[in-house]
Amino acid sequence: MSAYEKLLPDTLDGSKPFWDACRRHELTIQECLECGHRRWPIGPACTHCLSTDFSWVGVAGTGEVWSWITYHQAFNSAWAADVPYNVALIRMDEGHTMISNIVGVTPDEIRIGQRVEVLFEDVTDEASVPKFRPVKP
Amino acid sequence: MNQTPSTNLRGRGAIVGVGRTAMGNLQGSTALGLGLEALRLAIEDAGISKDEIDGILTHPGTTSREGANHYLRFSEAAGIDPRYAASKSMGGSTAGALVQEAIMAIDAGLATTVACVFGDAARTGGQKFNSPSGDPGLSWGIWGMFGPQANSAMGARRHMAQYGTTSEQLGAVSVTFREHAQNNPDAVMYGKTITLEDHQKSRMVVEPFHLLDCCLISDGGVAIIVTSAERAKDLKHPPVLVAGMGQGYTARKNEREDWWYLPHQKNVLESAFAMAGVGPEDIDVAQFYDNFTFSVLLWLEHGGFCQPGESGPFVAEGNLKMGSRLPSNTHGGSLSDAYMQGWTHIVEGVRQVRGEAGDRQVPGAETCLTTGRGMALNTANALVLTR
Repeated sequence: MSAYEKLLPDTLDGSKPFWDACRRHELTIQECLECGHRRWPIGPACTHCLSTDFSWVGVAGTGEVWSWITYHQAFNSAWAADVPYNVALIRMDEGHTMISNIVGVTPDEIRIGQRVEVLFEDVTDEASVPKFRPVKP
Repeated sequence: MNQTPSTNLRGRGAIVGVGRTAMGNLQGSTALGLGLEALRLAIEDAGISKDEIDGILTHPGTTSREGANHYLRFSEAAGIDPRYAASKSMGGSTAGALVQEAIMAIDAGLATTVACVFGDAARTGGQKFNSPSGDPGLSWGIWGMFGPQANSAMGARRHMAQYGTTSEQLGAVSVTFREHAQNNPDAVMYGKTITLEDHQKSRMVVEPFHLLDCCLISDGGVAIIVTSAERAKDLKHPPVLVAGMGQGYTARKNEREDWWYLPHQKNVLESAFAMAGVGPEDIDVAQFYDNFTFSVLLWLEHGGFCQPGESGPFVAEGNLKMGSRLPSNTHGGSLSDAYMQGWTHIVEGVRQVRGEAGDRQVPGAETCLTTGRGMALNTANALVLTR
């Protein structure tokens, strides 16, 4: 297997627990212990009440395609072999939006409003990246 | 949190000098050199002496090496020790934000005459505009999201699904602004016409955007000199007053489902209109920030020039053309004049309101709207320019 050349997550800025959970194939989010708000992206304080007390909680990993685009040109050489590939904006059932890829479909099979669920790609021995696939009806 | 828009600064600041260098592929140019050349041209246009400038506000170019300290190096290179100075990096909304800051600083007595400056050698400097989207803490490049097209393309796709907007309607923006560039000998695309068919046949870049939905990459510099309306009366040109201005931000791009629709732009335009005491029906000519064709559609909806969802048919009906209801991007815009991160839009607005736009002058234009927007689409501002 050739080396993985795409950008890998960094684990600075308090994001290590998130990526460690991905490694276990669990999608998590920070939940405020004072007001209960779940914030995204990862940050040091609650985006509602600024409390720094939080816990990592699991989320369902389901949502809907809010929008998507198709790259016909590689802006980064590590993605050249993937063209054309999609990048999707996914509205999670918990209310936040995530950027990811929809896997196992051709671009013309993606629709706005489509239900999707998370899966994890183990891209290196250390890193797993959350991606999404259509929920089977 | 609704606040009554302020009218305190209505018409208190004026743009008295504008300068734009040659633009396009300028071999041997540097960001710093282009900014200084633009400054010299703007000083000449204002008919003032360099010594009268006591404020320097700069926008570091993508190829500037000074980062947040750019204002210091620029001032040093210009031979100016300013009383007031700063740099801002808000992408395509920096130009308008600096003009607004200049007016506030002058009104507060911290400076009398402020030069706002931008220079970039993006074209010859090899700027590829291919950096990852997202934030340093969570890069969207992990999922292959690189380059500025991505955010706007994401919005365009959803607008298409929600309202039936088409690629041909986006193409109408591209073709219209290219037509306008034919009246602007300084435009990079002067002499190079396109048809809707050319737009449709141009290669896909980030679908739904074709190549001709995307702005140019250019070298060039722009400077804008701001002073008080009072002081402007004695200068060379009739002053162009900043009657209204607004700023807004949707910083919470991941926690708001309407981020793609850029809700802050509506607030920006409402604030600018309210300060100026005008509505969309009063705008004679507009210069909309057009990094991509779709950007223009959202400005039209947020400004009340058409109803939400109706901007596609609005542009396809020809409403942005010269001689129509809302002549827009009369210089050709970022799509066909040059990509100066929105700076040329303010220069063009000034020239239209002065009535010195030559072959592309909108007859009797007294009120011009200019807009800027940047970063992950989530910074924006607007100016209403009047005589």
